[in-house]
Amino acid sequence: MDILSNLALGFGVAFSPENLAYCFIGVLLGTLVGVLPGVGPLVTIAMLLPITFNLPAVAAITMLAGIYYGSQYGGSTTSILVNLPGETASAVTCIDGYQMARQGRAGPALAIAAIASLFAGCVGVLLIALAGPAIAEWALQFGAAEYTALMLMALVASAVISGGDVLKGLAMVVLGLMIGIVGVDVNSGMQRYTFGVPELVDGIGFTVIAVGLFAVAEIVVNLERKDPREVYTGKITNLMPTRGDLKDSAWPIVRGTAVGSFFGVLPGTGPALSSFATYLLEKKLARDPARFGRGAIEGVAAPEAANNAAAQTNFIPMLTLGLPASATMALLLAAMTMQGIEPGPQVMLTRPELFWGLIASMWIGNLMLVILNLPLIGLWVSLLRAPYRWLFPSIIMFCCIGNFSVSNNPGDVYLCAAVGVLGYVLAKLECEPAPLILGYVLGPLLEENLRRALLLSRGDPTVFFTRPISLTFMIATLFVLAVVIAPGLRKKADNA
Amino acid sequence: MKPDLFDNRDFLAGLLFIALGVLAIAVARDYPMGVAMRMGPGYFPTVLGGILCLFGGAVLVRGLRSGQQVSGDWGWRPLGLITLSILLFGALVDRLGIIPALVAMFFTAAAAGREFRFKEVLLLTVVMGAFALGVFVYGLKLPYALFPGVWWTS
Amino acid sequence: MKLQVYAYILSAAALLGMVPTVAAQAPYPTRPIRFIVGFPPGGSNNIVARMISPKLSEYLGQQVVVDNRGGANTAIATEIAANATPDGYTILMNAPGHATNPSLIKKLNFDSIRDFAFITQIGQAHNLLVTHPSFPPRSVQELIAYSKQRPGQVNYGSSGIGTSVHLSAELFQYMAGVKWLHVAYKGGGPGLVALLAGEVSLYFGNLPTVINHARSGKLRAVAVTGLKRSPAAPDIPTVAESGVPGFEVATWWGLSAPAKTPPAILARLHKETVRALNDSGVRKQLQGLGGEIVASTPEQYAAYVRNEIAKWAKVIKAAGIKSQ
Repeated sequence: MDILSNLALGFGVAFSPENLAYCFIGVLLGTLVGVLPGVGPLVTIAMLLPITFNLPAVAAITMLAGIYYGSQYGGSTTSILVNLPGETASAVTCIDGYQMARQGRAGPALAIAAIASLFAGCVGVLLIALAGPAIAEWALQFGAAEYTALMLMALVASAVISGGDVLKGLAMVVLGLMIGIVGVDVNSGMQRYTFGVPELVDGIGFTVIAVGLFAVAEIVVNLERKDPREVYTGKITNLMPTRGDLKDSAWPIVRGTAVGSFFGVLPGTGPALSSFATYLLEKKLARDPARFGRGAIEGVAAPEAANNAAAQTNFIPMLTLGLPASATMALLLAAMTMQGIEPGPQVMLTRPELFWGLIASMWIGNLMLVILNLPLIGLWVSLLRAPYRWLFPSIIMFCCIGNFSVSNNPGDVYLCAAVGVLGYVLAKLECEPAPLILGYVLGPLLEENLRRALLLSRGDPTVFFTRPISLTFMIATLFVLAVVIAPGLRKKADNA
Repeated sequence: MKPDLFDNRDFLAGLLFIALGVLAIAVARDYPMGVAMRMGPGYFPTVLGGILCLFGGAVLVRGLRSGQQVSGDWGWRPLGLITLSILLFGALVDRLGIIPALVAMFFTAAAAGREFRFKEVLLLTVVMGAFALGVFVYGLKLPYALFPGVWWTS
Repeated sequence: MKLQVYAYILSAAALLGMVPTVAAQAPYPTRPIRFIVGFPPGGSNNIVARMISPKLSEYLGQQVVVDNRGGANTAIATEIAANATPDGYTILMNAPGHATNPSLIKKLNFDSIRDFAFITQIGQAHNLLVTHPSFPPRSVQELIAYSKQRPGQVNYGSSGIGTSVHLSAELFQYMAGVKWLHVAYKGGGPGLVALLAGEVSLYFGNLPTVINHARSGKLRAVAVTGLKRSPAAPDIPTVAESGVPGFEVATWWGLSAPAKTPPAILARLHKETVRALNDSGVRKQLQGLGGEIVASTPEQYAAYVRNEIAKWAKVIKAAGIKSQ
């Protein structure tokens, strides 16, 4: 098997002091921008791109890649600590991670996020190394009909996400779907719900929604109380997860990795959707779903595994076919082209040292990230000991700069304030924000692909049932529907 | 209408959903509908608006039956001040630069808290502001003016 | 009491802000220059801007700071630049959106010609018409004949409404008198994936993003959209030479400033930008993006933009793309 010799070559390249150093800079920067809301890997890579022209190709790509997967580690930190999603994919982590922090278990939450990310990252890289080209070819079979069926399944499954109140949860999903519509319609080019505001033409940004609904609303809820009780419990039990925590998280991490690896390969879906999907799955599988939303460690472990696995498998179409699965990947592709590398299937043959060096550097980078993040946990947790009257203005500051930094546009900051008001009202009416975010992520994908599928089939709806993958998802959707509705029906029957 | 309807959690939520659903449908009337098999840009939002109204109606009726109240008081004052602080940041950052924007933001936001200690807020502003400048302007080289026409130059 | 103190701080902050910066008699430039780019980081515009800004900074002796103001296909950034003080401290990166927005957006708060002083066209790149290998036509002629027999049956993909990928196809239909079905995708990546998977049959991709797929046989290259053949692929004919004379679509990058910027400053900016473009490193990087340096005079560039605006107004009207 020549994979071993390939890997040996890769590690030889990655372990050169220079490449190690650039890998470290990459993951360090990635962690930093991951922690900060707004500024993400896309912006960072774009800003560093010109500097990398002068670096050797391997060092440049290693560093830029490190920024991307490193940001997935950092993204969960602020989600857990202060209910402020650092990256799109870590919005789900807010649900249970933040509750854990309030119960004094921020340490175990952060630690399990890092451990889950390490496991998932390593498996994701393994997939690239072993089966990259085959997976990429398979992913090409996903056309408009398949995406529609997949989104439909996710939509039906989303009923599970809301904590008990299915009706309101569904209403929030629909509201999210509607917010996702704002902006230019991909299929027709028509502007919808933009009310003549140029800032709305490209849609309402994820940072605006997530920061407004989670962080701003949460701060106001905390401030409205008249009693001076602190938001976080005084006692912090321990920094590391217990044996029981690890046992509870083991399977969710494995499942999250599988779900994440799948979504990462599909262009356009990526880490955000994978973390939601795996959260839904875990909640459905859990013996006691009521714990979710109240600080269940599985609710942190599974999504964090998923988004990191997805961040790695995101590289597959780019590395093996030269196809970008996301905007960030498109940028990395540009970086490779400008280095004189022609991305595509031939990269593995013409530039093996680059391909395998990158693979090896990803393992090393994932390891560096854990070594980097675990000691930081103590520092992060100690931040929560600060009085809330210091914390909340600081969180607001990050919300403001974060939103502004996305496109240097004050309009986004105003929008975030408006979403914050909506978020507070919804929170008071006990409508949870997570289903809304899910709808927001799903909506544009669903509508776009549904309409495209019907456009391509010239209006023939059987297209969803004649293609095998689409048909499989459709059957699965019916199954999920049955699983979701059945308990509700049984309860009604019992009551009657 | 009984006054306690205004404190009825599900009634208000339902009302909000219906209002947003109706708004969505009303605005979508300007967009071509198309038909189910060849949807125009107005089709999807109209259907969603309808579904939202349905869910909203169900939540509203449930609220009338259960009569559950909103827990706790409404925090209009913190909501107003926090919102104002974010708006101030947005309004000032492009016009006066990031430093005045941060000062205004911190003092307004801190006023939303239960206690406001001037010196403490000042210190917080300086420390966190310096941190933010270090990370965003110096570190990430984001192109923000510190004051009007004053940029960080290295 | 509390509020008073607070009001004081606010007004102090405001006052501090309003002190005008000392604009002494020192020669231009005395402070950093803001370089507005109409796209978020990512994409070729941003890369080109960040490629030339270090050189410009070096030659001007002041930092040229790239300021990404994405949105509405450059309309947001363009409006900011149009309203900026014309003192040479704000410059704008123009893209094809500058020429198509007047036809695509009903209410623009600026005039794409009158509100700007055009400095130079930085460069341009062309698109490559590629098809899925299973699609029978192999040349432009065959494609036209094939399409004429099957009006509305050929699917073409694009990276979104109003992009050069989309408009290339619209211009082709307009000039060749054929009718295709447009399937829009969100960005170049998904559009290309759809073509590789055979979901659509043809696609006018930005040359560097599709050329490798054509070389590896996953796609078939048909023609380039330049008037002349591309140095990067001299074996591929142009659309213009294959039966649609005069057909040309370019993605371009240009530099402009607010209209009333002093002529001396514009001359300086032109001189230094052209100098930066003649730098061998910049040239090589732009070639890596599939582009070529243009470095035209302000007059040539202004004429180019005017011509582009007129050309696309016709095509967009003919294609029935509604402005809004």
